[in-house]
Amino acid sequence: MIEVHDVRKQFGAVQALGGVSFTAHDGQITALLGPNGAGKTTLLRTLVGLLKRDHGSILIGGVDPEKDPMAVRRNIGFLTDQFGLYERLTTREYLNYFGELNGMNSAALKQRIAEVSELLGMDDIIERPTKGFSQGQRIKVALARTLLHRPRHLLLDEPSRGLDVMSTRALRTALGALRADGCCVIMATHVMQEVTHLCEDVIVIAKGHTVAQGSPEELCRRTGIANLEDAFVSLVGTEEGIA
Amino acid sequence: MKSRIRIVFLKELRETLREKRTLGFLAMMTLAYPVLIGFMMHQAIEKSTRTEREGINLTVIGGARAPTLMAQLRERSVTIADSAAMSEDAIGELLHSKKAAAVLRVSDDFIENYEAMRPARIELWFDSSSESGSQRRELEEALQAYGNNIASARLLAHGVSPATLAPVLVQRYDTGTNASRSAMILGSVIGILFFPAFMLNMSSAVDSTAGERERRSLEVLMAQPARAWELVGGKWLACSIIAIVGVTFELIVAHAILKWLPLEEIGMSWNLGWGELALVCLATVPLSLLSGALYIALAMNAKTFKEAQTTLSIVMIVPLVPGFVVSFMELKTAQWMYLVPMLSNQTLVKELAKTGDIGPLPFVLTFLCALLPALLVAAFASWRMNSEKYVLGV
Repeated sequence: MIEVHDVRKQFGAVQALGGVSFTAHDGQITALLGPNGAGKTTLLRTLVGLLKRDHGSILIGGVDPEKDPMAVRRNIGFLTDQFGLYERLTTREYLNYFGELNGMNSAALKQRIAEVSELLGMDDIIERPTKGFSQGQRIKVALARTLLHRPRHLLLDEPSRGLDVMSTRALRTALGALRADGCCVIMATHVMQEVTHLCEDVIVIAKGHTVAQGSPEELCRRTGIANLEDAFVSLVGTEEGIA
Repeated sequence: MKSRIRIVFLKELRETLREKRTLGFLAMMTLAYPVLIGFMMHQAIEKSTRTEREGINLTVIGGARAPTLMAQLRERSVTIADSAAMSEDAIGELLHSKKAAAVLRVSDDFIENYEAMRPARIELWFDSSSESGSQRRELEEALQAYGNNIASARLLAHGVSPATLAPVLVQRYDTGTNASRSAMILGSVIGILFFPAFMLNMSSAVDSTAGERERRSLEVLMAQPARAWELVGGKWLACSIIAIVGVTFELIVAHAILKWLPLEEIGMSWNLGWGELALVCLATVPLSLLSGALYIALAMNAKTFKEAQTTLSIVMIVPLVPGFVVSFMELKTAQWMYLVPMLSNQTLVKELAKTGDIGPLPFVLTFLCALLPALLVAAFASWRMNSEKYVLGV
């Protein structure tokens, strides 16, 4: 479970987060919606303890990332908006590296790599150097890295961007499996269809504030708009800055 | 569980060693570099042991018309090759091929003019673009002396003292010795001996920091359960070990070559034994650690690979400066020189080559004067990676 209460963060004169509060439950996929520049990246970075909040409280599985960032990170799978592969390493070496950094031993790693590789359908690329991978292959490798150490919490920044239909399905299966395992998944996205299909809960942030939280149906009901996309625009309050 | 610093270290090392360019550079620096130094020294020895007058080859056209001149030239150990008349092009060709240092052409009307006491013409052909300047001076002096001899004889025949022709007598003394010239060469060789410590780790340091930042993988790495000092430490040691291995091999090869060269022939010495060389290699390890730490600390702040490379190429020159200043100002070896990284290594080898035994203190100072700043800079880099400002830029 991820509990965030009134988190604020200021960079110089810029108020990046002006008061974000939400609760993301275990066994649910929570969508994080917000226009570009709403503070999603700052929020995710604060959650993993890369940035320190100015105000408010954060508990991830009951641990404050500011007090014990290592414990929190061991329990988080973080997929950034860039995948950051190492071109001279093969997929397996890449996964080994991050698995070892998360304290996995080689026997556990071997078994787990076989598992995620099957889950994401990436047997064909596991021994290949990651140089020249397609967007879909890259995101699969990055996602495999995210899932590798069986984190209880997943922070995914636009995991479906650039994926073809087959890969999107693989991703959806993976997310479904995580939910069934009781993981707490937060997924930043711009694809409304994905939100309606996958997510139980939606957090809408705009200009560094939480604007609304609830299931997609609740948000539609609250705004009185049947279409989630229109409801989102109405909640954010402007049509500017929507990607 | 393996320590994280080791995990990062092994991964960076593996990635670096997969790059062929880095490996090629490493091989070139460890093998070609000392061989090049050896070749330079060999040439210097060759050049200064060759006697200067030996081997002036002169081609003469019409030499039979001036037998006295020919005899005088032979006295000055000039090898004379007689030749039939040649065209100007043929002379040019001959000089260009460096078979003769110069060509002397005695004109057809030489005897006639000589007997009539008119200036008799002798042509000296030479190629000023070739290196035989000193040989040409030698020949000109011989011709001058020949002319003076004739003038003196003629004056004497008219009852005038030949001394009137020489109111001033110039005598030249050259105090430059082979040894002093070659000491400068050895000094510059030692000066560049440790330079690979600053070259071999550069690409690895840039790749693992600025490169990782440019490829946007650094954020992911920093979000892992590893502390900044573990990440920085692993990267720092990985790039340093390459320089350490490279410099050690380079020193061994250079040592073998310098020991083999007949340095004593030009009044120089290389009094190092293999044991002392091992100590020098050990004392040089922190130099690679220092350069690695500096590069990591600087490159991690650059946004792109290119930016980092430009910054580091400038920094790379800095360690050569103290050595140049010392040799330029001709400073005598002093204790403080062992406190300046790089200069301390150069001084260490210079003194060892000269005397062979200098006691343990210079080794200890050389070791520590690079190690302490290296640790400080690495600590600074870790602190920097932890700072929020840095995270924002990633």
